Amino acid sequence: MATYVIQRLGLMLLTLFAIVTLTFFLMHAVPGGPFVSERMLAPEIEAALNAKFGLSDPIWLQYLHYLRGIAMFDLGPSFKYPGVSVNQMIADGLPVTLRLGLLAVICVIALGVPMGIVAALNRNKWPDTGVMLLATMGVAIPSYVIATVLLYVFALKLGWVPTFGLDDWRGYILPVLALAGFWISFVARLSRSSLLETFEQDYMTTARAKGLRPGQVLFKHGLRNSLIPVVTVLGPVVANLVTGSFVIEQIFALPGIGRHFVLSITNRDYTAIMGITIFYAALLMVMILIVDLLYLWLDPRIKLSRQSA
Amino acid sequence: MSEETIAPAMWEKLDRSAAETEVIATPSLTYWQDVRKRLWANKPAVVSIGFIVLLILAAIFGPIFSPFSYSDQNLKLANLPPVFEPYRVTDSSGTSTRFFLNASNFNLYQVSEGGQVEEIIRGERKDMLKKRQGFKFGDQAVTLDYSSLPAKLLNADGSVLRPEGLQWNMTYLFGTDQLGRDVLVRQMIGARISLTVAFVATLVNFFIGIFYGGIAGYMGGKTDAVMMRIVEIISTIPLTLYVILLMVVLDSGLISIVVAIGSVFWVDMARMVRGQILMLKSQDYVAAARTMGAGTGRILTKHLLPNSVGPILVTLTMLIPSAIFIESFMSFIGLGVTPPLASWGTLTSEAVETLRAYPHQLFFPAAAISLTMFAFNFLGDGLRDALDPRLRK
Repeated sequence: MATYVIQRLGLMLLTLFAIVTLTFFLMHAVPGGPFVSERMLAPEIEAALNAKFGLSDPIWLQYLHYLRGIAMFDLGPSFKYPGVSVNQMIADGLPVTLRLGLLAVICVIALGVPMGIVAALNRNKWPDTGVMLLATMGVAIPSYVIATVLLYVFALKLGWVPTFGLDDWRGYILPVLALAGFWISFVARLSRSSLLETFEQDYMTTARAKGLRPGQVLFKHGLRNSLIPVVTVLGPVVANLVTGSFVIEQIFALPGIGRHFVLSITNRDYTAIMGITIFYAALLMVMILIVDLLYLWLDPRIKLSRQSA
Repeated sequence: MSEETIAPAMWEKLDRSAAETEVIATPSLTYWQDVRKRLWANKPAVVSIGFIVLLILAAIFGPIFSPFSYSDQNLKLANLPPVFEPYRVTDSSGTSTRFFLNASNFNLYQVSEGGQVEEIIRGERKDMLKKRQGFKFGDQAVTLDYSSLPAKLLNADGSVLRPEGLQWNMTYLFGTDQLGRDVLVRQMIGARISLTVAFVATLVNFFIGIFYGGIAGYMGGKTDAVMMRIVEIISTIPLTLYVILLMVVLDSGLISIVVAIGSVFWVDMARMVRGQILMLKSQDYVAAARTMGAGTGRILTKHLLPNSVGPILVTLTMLIPSAIFIESFMSFIGLGVTPPLASWGTLTSEAVETLRAYPHQLFFPAAAISLTMFAFNFLGDGLRDALDPRLRK
């Protein structure tokens, strides 16, 4: 177990290093410096700015500086908002993004799995058809379309929820639903098919034959085994819910990291783009690692050697 | 030796009918005939194929036959709805005028009997305080009253003017957008862009994926380990972020999107191909081919790849909707094609700006992209079931 964790952490650091290098050189490949704008700066001022941010150094030196900063969890200053560091931007947005992401994960588990169970138990009857129809729609319709349609119907037409902002709990409903829509459907489909497969297993027949109550058969024997594939996809789910939120944050005008990210793209704020990308990547990898470890703990049959291969 | 006599009855011819019952009547089908048969039996998949074909035809030929181009602006006829309620006013000399009211911007537009939009009708000065505007049709006067919503049209005697029922906008079938551009032709151009991006990017993914996965799977050992470790690293990088970064560097535009998507999404394809090749290369026919002296290239292209066509095809069909999705997503956050060119993503994000007043503008791009995603998903499912019936649930 310990070697596995160390191995995974090593791979994570390697990946992170690759991402840092890639983003650094990508962002430096962009033509024009960060201070190029419609209003021409006096050459002296530009030189002074370049000197302040170390932009007149050779690129390898800048790279080393940046690496040192990352190692000390310092993502550098923002070029567009003087006096604001990228760390501060992330610290501003993180609570909102995390809250949305976690609520969405809870929604995925609390809605997706029961939907799958209901569908599997009523195979080929109307609850099944209904759930599968909803799930197919959820998988096929892009999240930003779901978000705008929800916004139009529930916020503009019916006025049940606010159109933007998170002042009270009702403000969370639409963003979380729009964010989680795809994965709720995905998990519903997955748990349905996996449960149907489990129902055909011999031990299910045995459980029924020895006279267990249907509830016991379902929860103790059926669900426990059929939810393993669902747990497997939770890693990517968590990852996607946290990064997927930037369009949602944009549409509902929520002050999360995603909004900062989209804004820094429109502003061409390169340090912010770099910093947020690296932060996102690190966040995702930590999440995936946690989910993988959970998975290992849930299903001891998984061989570590196969996992790392 | 015993003396057995063969009875004459034993020389009789056998009745053939007994043997014929054993004959298999249906002609044996090749694998692909079988696949086609199963696919045609799958209704959603067939409907999806029909939809995709129509969409492709519309994307290629639609803009050619349209009287408008995607960048033609007519600010006087902006934000027209696809369906309106025409009114009719007849003056004392007998000339009648048909027009409709755009309830969101309080303009009157003259329409022909057939539903062709002709021009905006100029009224008298707007009375901003009373929220009224007068219009003259010959000697008839009509007043637009928008002090309480929905806006009403009043006759000279103060009675409310009644519409003649609903009519479809025959000039702009899907209405116009905020710059007075035809939504229909922009839709079709959007389809053209989105489908082009999807197909080209998928093709690029296909070649890289096959090449990479094929080599990794066939070589095995150290090569495979190193190549798959690289894939593992790439797949931990959030791909959307990477595409966004690339788009920032490359500047928005059609080619950049194709490059960005094409250079990233081959990972799944490579994994799948590798898995297939690993499974197939231990088959006896591969060993036989090698014994007969076939080289690596020949075994790969003639034996291994043709036998993994099924899963490759399914992965391809599933890649197309995700490419469409990424493209529209990029366009939606402003990193896609540059205006005035349209893609489904830019159309949706433009419609979101005017969502409050003109929700119908959101309907068409949202419906187009959702239906297309549906179609490709159903087709993918259908293909998977047809290619490998064991997978059907």
